[in-house]
Amino acid sequence: MESSSESINYYGNKPAQQVEDREKKLKPTERANTARELYFGAKSSASMEFPYWYTRRWDELDGEIPIIRRAESLKAGFEHLTPVIYPGELLAMGKASFLRGSYPMPWLSEAFFMAAEDRLYQEALESGKLTADTFTTVGKGGGNVTKSIGKVISIAGKFGLRVEEMPVMLEVAKRWKDRSVDDVGHKYEQMVPGYKEKEAIMRSVICMFDSGYTLPQGREVMNYYYPLQYGIDGVIHICEEGMNEVAGYPEMDRLYFYKAVITMLQGLKAWIRNYAEEARFLANLEKEEKQKAEYSDLAERLDHISASPPRDFHDALQMIWTFHVAVLNEDAISGLSPGRVGQVLYPYWKRDMDRGILNREKTIELLECMRIKFTEIDCFASMGVVGGVLSGNTFNNLCIGGLKKDGTSAANELEMLILETGISCETPQPTLSLLYDEKLPEEFLLKGIECTKAGAGYPAWVSNTVAMEFLLNNYGHEGMQMEEARAWAIGGCLETSPGSWMPLNLDGEIHWIPGGSAPATSVGVHFLSLPKILETVIFDGMDMRTGERIFPAHGLKLESYDELWQAFQNYFSRAVHVLTLTNNIQHDAWRKISPSLVNSMLKPDCLEKGRDLGQMGARFNTTFNVESCGNTTLVNALASLKKNVYDEKNFDLATYRKAILDNFGYHTAQETGSWSLIDQKPNEQYSEYQRIHRMSLDAPKFGNDDPYVDSLFKQWEDWFCEMTHNYRSLYDQPMYACQISVSTHAPMGAVTLASPDGRLSGTTFSDGSVSAYPGTDRHGPYALFSSATCWNHSQSQNSQLNMKIHPSVVRGREGSRKFLELIRAYMRKGGFHVQFNIVDSRMLKQAQADPDKFRSLLVRVAGFTQYWVELGKQIQDEVIARTEYEEL
Amino acid sequence: MSKIVNMNCTDCKYYLPVDVFKGMCKLSKQDILPDDAFCDKAERIAKCKFCGKYTAGKEFLGKCMATTLAYPDMIAAKCADFEWSSQN
Ligand code: SF4
Repeated sequence: MESSSESINYYGNKPAQQVEDREKKLKPTERANTARELYFGAKSSASMEFPYWYTRRWDELDGEIPIIRRAESLKAGFEHLTPVIYPGELLAMGKASFLRGSYPMPWLSEAFFMAAEDRLYQEALESGKLTADTFTTVGKGGGNVTKSIGKVISIAGKFGLRVEEMPVMLEVAKRWKDRSVDDVGHKYEQMVPGYKEKEAIMRSVICMFDSGYTLPQGREVMNYYYPLQYGIDGVIHICEEGMNEVAGYPEMDRLYFYKAVITMLQGLKAWIRNYAEEARFLANLEKEEKQKAEYSDLAERLDHISASPPRDFHDALQMIWTFHVAVLNEDAISGLSPGRVGQVLYPYWKRDMDRGILNREKTIELLECMRIKFTEIDCFASMGVVGGVLSGNTFNNLCIGGLKKDGTSAANELEMLILETGISCETPQPTLSLLYDEKLPEEFLLKGIECTKAGAGYPAWVSNTVAMEFLLNNYGHEGMQMEEARAWAIGGCLETSPGSWMPLNLDGEIHWIPGGSAPATSVGVHFLSLPKILETVIFDGMDMRTGERIFPAHGLKLESYDELWQAFQNYFSRAVHVLTLTNNIQHDAWRKISPSLVNSMLKPDCLEKGRDLGQMGARFNTTFNVESCGNTTLVNALASLKKNVYDEKNFDLATYRKAILDNFGYHTAQETGSWSLIDQKPNEQYSEYQRIHRMSLDAPKFGNDDPYVDSLFKQWEDWFCEMTHNYRSLYDQPMYACQISVSTHAPMGAVTLASPDGRLSGTTFSDGSVSAYPGTDRHGPYALFSSATCWNHSQSQNSQLNMKIHPSVVRGREGSRKFLELIRAYMRKGGFHVQFNIVDSRMLKQAQADPDKFRSLLVRVAGFTQYWVELGKQIQDEVIARTEYEEL
Repeated sequence: MSKIVNMNCTDCKYYLPVDVFKGMCKLSKQDILPDDAFCDKAERIAKCKFCGKYTAGKEFLGKCMATTLAYPDMIAAKCADFEWSSQN
């Protein structure tokens, strides 16, 4: 094998410079720093209070109308949660009674947290539901409880559960057998013709997971308008009026919906008041005057918002946080984005500032407290989901910038402070996305640059223009017009989500605030491994790793590139077809057994229509998609086959098959213990495959403005974005393309043999959707931009470009301007999204070797920022290997 | 003062859980472990195992009012039916 210096820019990045730190250093307030230190020491912890009471109440109400039963169960869960308040908290409340608390939701799915020998677990394994778990690595450090220790049991490699709660967890879980969304959906999905093919697809990890029972909500934007405008009692009053109007009339489901919302809200009221009572208890114990006053103030604030609309900025911030947690507690959710919080809260903030009851310092302290609270959010899910997809993150995306209802810049002073606290109090949550528009002021954009340069990976930069074009295309048939398209935000890590303008009346003045107006905008076929599907094309429908047949044999000789491409389209379409149908059934089971109530209450126009989100109560309902993974790896592989097999006839396909099966004469990634191409080791067969491997690596690679490969990329994108519209969601709406890898490129790469682009078996795929494969983009960022924009991004819900830049390149004021021009250039070319790691790769290597010294180090992965130590090794290796730009 | 034999910090109403491994004392603000023994300021928090309506079953499981699944270490401060048992 060649020396490592020769392999630079072939296999990924091996930086040679001295370690250089990031530029901007601001310190958090003492309060936030103390809270963050407490967080750093806290482990992810699960408890059984909520699921116990939920299940108990559910069982008591056998025979009740399902949505009422659900509401009563949620109420029982909320009102029995033990409140915990930590010293110094200005914002209180959390998911469960631990700092990083969460809990199982067996009404969704119960098999994955059973013991491995349990029959339920074995059945889930057989049906392919848990295969991705096996190929996922979870971060070994930080807050993950990776092993059972003493009286703590590790679940899914991440969550700790006290041994005293284990028997009740198993007992409660078993009560949901045949009743959970997972089990009921599974019973009926088997009626889909071709169902067995779906199981084989899941076992081969061509598809990563079923969204209906794993993460049925999320990837959407919150709407806080109703509680802000009316308060909880006001919303109850709206529901009571609704009941009076509809009782006894046709469409009786509206009656039950209103009643269910009232019941759920009574549970929330009790939950908030329990926190108020705890705050009073702590105030009584407290000797220190300032802390005593803060506890009393918190108690009074919580009591107030348990009934009434907020009076000031602090109330409003507590109110939105409370409802955010409330939604998270009704379902397993990732990607619940707070949205354009700086614009929602601006009227309160401005009024307080004008009145002199709030100042810049206090605002910063509160915003930092908000960052800590969002960072505490954990989502209890299986290892494949929590590690393989989420990397332990929960994707609460806060958007800044964009346009107002009237088309002028929406950036404001509060958003400048949100950016400021993103720098001073670096935490993974909420991550920030800047909705870039040419109308945004330069000062605001430069503040965004300052924050991106600080190195925590946010804000990501997303194009307002591209997003609105997508939204108008996708939601035009549901009545969306330009003005409403401007209310959008990112839901989850990068899902373009529709919003609406809501008329917040404050002191008689109307402020149009943006908020989400659709349910989860990314449920459906999640995720499809493009390189693995190509592998099955090459091997006539077989998964050669397991020897299992996945698709019916195509029986083609694949004698031309067109024939190969058609065979790929055929297998891909088969997968989308069967997965769409099974997924629709699972989501139908979800909406019947576990309908959303908290989120439904919040989203326009559920209260007006008297329908929950599952009954299309929201204003916009075109929300199911098909997600891809490994775009660039696929296209690079196609380009290599086109060149080496069909155009130049350097090798025949049989030779490629053999080389792939023998991994081009290398040990597997599992054997080497590293997941990036750069670290792979040749075996004794290497010389036999040296030529084919070299020529595969030398084939044109995406990211270099090379029309040979970029035209194949465009062909893939144009076909994929269009074909998704042929499939119909549960809500009978066309589906659409979604292109983000999140963390799936690691486990999906782990089960995929070597690919014709020279990538080796088990190594991670390309990240994002328009990122170059690590080390293969060798002509600078502008060439990468040209490749990335060879297709129209507004055809898809998103595209994702991840870049790594050495800190020295963007240093100083001049570096900032250069950096902004770089981003502008991409946006002007029609790019939808770009995000950056401003980091020296040597530092990442050091952090991998000595994680304890780097507890607070943050990196950008694919749409989210995460603590380095909480990432699995697969993703760590991939981030290190990404091309590091040392000049712009 | 409630009876304190064989009690640990998670049985105390001044215990503030941070995670499954550790917590804080609401009185002293000191770090404590859930299995630390009761100190002289400790007071029991309502839990199923202290409730008159609870009957113990096999390890870490029991019954509420003789019919419903319950577990001994569940905090019952918000249970409307809780009543201190005369047994402990
Ligand atoms: S009444 Fe409440 S505290 Fe007593 S055993 Fe039943 S659930 Fe536990």
